[in-house]
Amino acid sequence: MPIDAANPVPPSYPRRAGPDQIPPHVPKELIRTSGIPTGEAFLAGPHDFMARMHQDFPPIFYDVGDYGNAWQFIKHEDALFALRHWEHFSNEGATPFPRDPNDYFYFIPIEIDPPQHRKYRNIVDPLFSPKGVLKLEGLIRQRARDLLDDVADKGECEFTEAFGRPLPVSVFLDIMGLPQDMRDTFVEWAIDLLHGKDRESMGRAMQNIVAYIKQAIAEKKAHPDEGVVSRITHAAPDGMPLSDKEIFGFVIFLFIGGLDTVFATLNNIWLWLARNPDRVQEIIARPNDLDAIVEELLRRWSVTFSGRVVAQDIEMRGVQMKKGDRITCVLPACNFDPDVFPNPLEVDFDRPRRTILAFTVGVHSCMGSHLARLELKIALQEWLRRIPQFAVKQDAQIVYRPGGVVGPESVPLVW
Amino acid sequence: MPKVTYIEASGASHVIDVDVDENVMHGALYNNLPGILGECGGARSCATCRCTVDAAWAAKVGTPTTHEERESLEGAEGELKPNMRLSCQIDMTDDLDGLVVHLPESQF
Repeated sequence: MPIDAANPVPPSYPRRAGPDQIPPHVPKELIRTSGIPTGEAFLAGPHDFMARMHQDFPPIFYDVGDYGNAWQFIKHEDALFALRHWEHFSNEGATPFPRDPNDYFYFIPIEIDPPQHRKYRNIVDPLFSPKGVLKLEGLIRQRARDLLDDVADKGECEFTEAFGRPLPVSVFLDIMGLPQDMRDTFVEWAIDLLHGKDRESMGRAMQNIVAYIKQAIAEKKAHPDEGVVSRITHAAPDGMPLSDKEIFGFVIFLFIGGLDTVFATLNNIWLWLARNPDRVQEIIARPNDLDAIVEELLRRWSVTFSGRVVAQDIEMRGVQMKKGDRITCVLPACNFDPDVFPNPLEVDFDRPRRTILAFTVGVHSCMGSHLARLELKIALQEWLRRIPQFAVKQDAQIVYRPGGVVGPESVPLVW
Repeated sequence: MPKVTYIEASGASHVIDVDVDENVMHGALYNNLPGILGECGGARSCATCRCTVDAAWAAKVGTPTTHEERESLEGAEGELKPNMRLSCQIDMTDDLDGLVVHLPESQF
């Protein structure tokens, strides 16, 4: 039965974790402990690890770990199939983010499957469409220039603090209709929530975010404006206003889904640029190919995973999966599928265009993808104009943080 | 507002008002039409908004405007037909009032 978005309840699917909770239909020869996304071998070089998966793992295998047991899909073709068939692979109950069971809410629209899903996307898609985000181009460029003004003459910076985080957070606040003086607070909350050192700091960050968002919604209810929070607050698909739970679940999802992924993407790409000065010069020399360059960088440096719950029994590649099993599409591995992207670790701006999985596919494709592409494009243009030659600071330790968003913790640069 | 007629592979047809400055993909999505998925939302990445422009309109609509669109169409599953376009790349204008597009049986 489809879920009722206005009356959220915690999912009833079993959550299996660890070797004691492997259902009997899983064949022994398909059980692995990959260590994604926290193991030592993975963190030593996550993207190389995920590229090697095509040699080291079966195309579909059952991964067992403390964070949850799930089938892993690493073939491009299998991920396309799973992400496009919501009737077999559902999003309802598939988002692992913990919530208070007594004040439960759904992340909207990601946890809502068709046919209801489209009504939520229709509220925001015009703002996040390629044309919609292009209206922000001048503003994003100005934000990038302001940040560069602060560091360009210093000769060094920690990239993620100086640029990689504040740029997307500024843009997020602009598009949401929230004040810029919240920038540093939002960065802090996002880091504490998603990479908190302990449960207390994560819980505190969540409480702060919830309180702030509830207050922002109340304010937009009274004083409508052009921003996304106001647009969601005042939306009435088919004449039916959204409930408070829907509005809250929608706004908080944009916060959680839209920030950390961009931080990590920029960190990964700037680390690669700093280590490959000849490729930086190639990018500078090809300003008219920047769209293709951005697309290839997003393929090579995808940062996340996409989970689903099996909604009805299905067999793929001879593997039986049963209702209630969880699956994870290892999106970076799918973007390294040599059957689709030959010589997959090579950054090749002239690669024939194929569907990349950085933003998934299917109805739940990332609504922020056009904004992310534009931010990346402008970030490249503005950074390379001001700082065309740069390198990783000597003796800098590049450490990948464990978790579902893959990127180095910090990227110290010098120029 | 200009109108677009979307004809499904089954023959079922839908006449939809599409704003000038919107594109033919959004016209379908915002009205919950079957046959156009538009998964990537207009990035010329997924080729799930393909349509075949009716022969009577082909000259007016024109051929793919970018090599990204051409490559996306060529890489898509299913047959590449003459006059096929990504509907996200067809911007509505008053000149296109009455446009007829045919939708494939499946987008993937």
